[in-house]
Amino acid sequence: MFKLKVSDAKLLRDMAAAIAILVDEATFKIEPEGLKLRAMDPSRVAMIDFEWPKTIFEEYVCEAPSKMCINISELLKLLKRAGKDEAVELSLDDKTGRLQIKITGKYSRNFNMPTLEASEEEVPTPKIAFNIKAKTTTQGLSQAIEDAQLVSDHVRIEADSEKLLLNASGDLMGATITLQKGSDALLDLEAKENSKATFSLSYLSEIIKAASATSDIATLEFSTDMPVRIDFQQTKEGKLTFFLAPRIETE
Amino acid sequence: MGVNLRGIVPKTVVKLEDLSGKTVAIDAYNALYQFLAIIRQPDGTPLKDNTGKVTSHLSGLLYRTSNLVELGIKPIYVFDGKPPVLKTEEIQRRKQVKVEAKVHYEKAVAKGDMVQARKFAQATVSLKDYMKEDAQRLLGLMGLPWVQAPSEGEAQAAHMTRRGDSDYCASQDYDSLLFGAPLLLRNVTVSGKRKLPGKNVYIDVVPEVFTLDKVLKECEITYEQLIDVGILIGTDFNPDGIKGLGPKTALKLIQKHGTVENALPHIKNAEFPHPPQQIREIFLHPKVRSDYTLEWKEPNVEGIVDFLVREKDFSENRVRKAVEKMQVGTKEQKSKTTLEKWFG
Repeated sequence: MFKLKVSDAKLLRDMAAAIAILVDEATFKIEPEGLKLRAMDPSRVAMIDFEWPKTIFEEYVCEAPSKMCINISELLKLLKRAGKDEAVELSLDDKTGRLQIKITGKYSRNFNMPTLEASEEEVPTPKIAFNIKAKTTTQGLSQAIEDAQLVSDHVRIEADSEKLLLNASGDLMGATITLQKGSDALLDLEAKENSKATFSLSYLSEIIKAASATSDIATLEFSTDMPVRIDFQQTKEGKLTFFLAPRIETE
Repeated sequence: MGVNLRGIVPKTVVKLEDLSGKTVAIDAYNALYQFLAIIRQPDGTPLKDNTGKVTSHLSGLLYRTSNLVELGIKPIYVFDGKPPVLKTEEIQRRKQVKVEAKVHYEKAVAKGDMVQARKFAQATVSLKDYMKEDAQRLLGLMGLPWVQAPSEGEAQAAHMTRRGDSDYCASQDYDSLLFGAPLLLRNVTVSGKRKLPGKNVYIDVVPEVFTLDKVLKECEITYEQLIDVGILIGTDFNPDGIKGLGPKTALKLIQKHGTVENALPHIKNAEFPHPPQQIREIFLHPKVRSDYTLEWKEPNVEGIVDFLVREKDFSENRVRKAVEKMQVGTKEQKSKTTLEKWFG
């Protein structure tokens, strides 16, 4: 038996949107304390680590730990039908194995969708010693990413104790974006060692765009030529963290 | 032809992009036959150089492979060697089909019926030694590895995949699963739009993955029993199988009786040309080799141009573009990493 309810559909919709950028089939771990998901995209370049304690929900019922796999973009389509402040209830019908989605507000809608075979894969946490920790506003970060995207499809992120730099160079044009420590965009910066690493802008922008809907503050952690860890501070409790593998420039 | 397991084995549809960084052992003959069948002029005439030698297979090999390499996929082409003795009957049958198709083709051409001509021309395809040599020469110039199998190419590709030297086997035939390939990819060398044979209808052909473990789990049989299901349906080594017996019935019979031997008394008029154990052996213990080397090198651009443009009358512009795509893909692949590297 599994059931959850939120009074504002936006919460679930933004969560589903953030997961849908990396995976099609999402396997949730349903535990008495809350909902968890950890998955990599098919090319294994990016990973999402998501946890929501049961306290986030209006109502949360989980009698025994289990797994539930659903087509997340299909669920997202249904959730998009819900207006702001409409309530959503998800419940798993143990007999039919179908997920019931009930949206109530101005009128009420009952959808149902099949659950899929749950993934058995346990995704470990990447082991990385981070040398840079930069606390940014998600707005400042997504602006900087948009700037870089004008000239290239990948970006080199560099930091020392004073500033965070984004360097992009394309076939024709180049861009350098500077976020100074203590500015509106860069709230805090800790540097154990000057570091730089290059990442795909399409991954970065999709992740940041989707996660910004749930968060105002993003903490970037990275080291030279290592994956970046981006933690999006949730407005309520809960955790939304991404890992993204770097590109290693050969020239 | 291969064994027909369609409808009883579960598949997953994938995007070619998701195979980026993966190694794929491609059944070379299977791919070359497809190129020879598909890459033709409207009346069914294959592409030829100015000496009249067919070049359709080279066209497919260059353009299709460069698409894969552009996406970061690492292909290995595996060529058939000497077929097992039991395949003689199937080879004879195929020859006969071609002879008949040639007669029909000539009739259709004489009548000016181009649709029929093309259809029959596709059925006359045969792979000559010079085509194989040309293909291997081109792969060498493209910097891609190829392996000469001692016997069946699919068996060799399955062997390499089981050893972990390749992530996937690619073939249109399901036989790879019978040879024990853990992962089989279909529609890798033919994705995109494709005309349905004999109809004026185009369908989307998308890559499909078959996982041996999943197949066995879902069919509730062992690997040996999957081979037995194949033997009942018909393989290259007993092409007819049991007449009139389809995949679903074959599966049910093996689920119920366990082996071909135990199932035979329950089938009406079951005739069997060879002891099933002989066929089973080909799949269980095929002739394969482990002394191959796999190396992906930079393409020899001028070498490819000399061969395809100067000798085979390809368009220089198109050839150079295809090679450039490969180089961009290889470079991009080198700079990519996956998170797995940091799982420790």
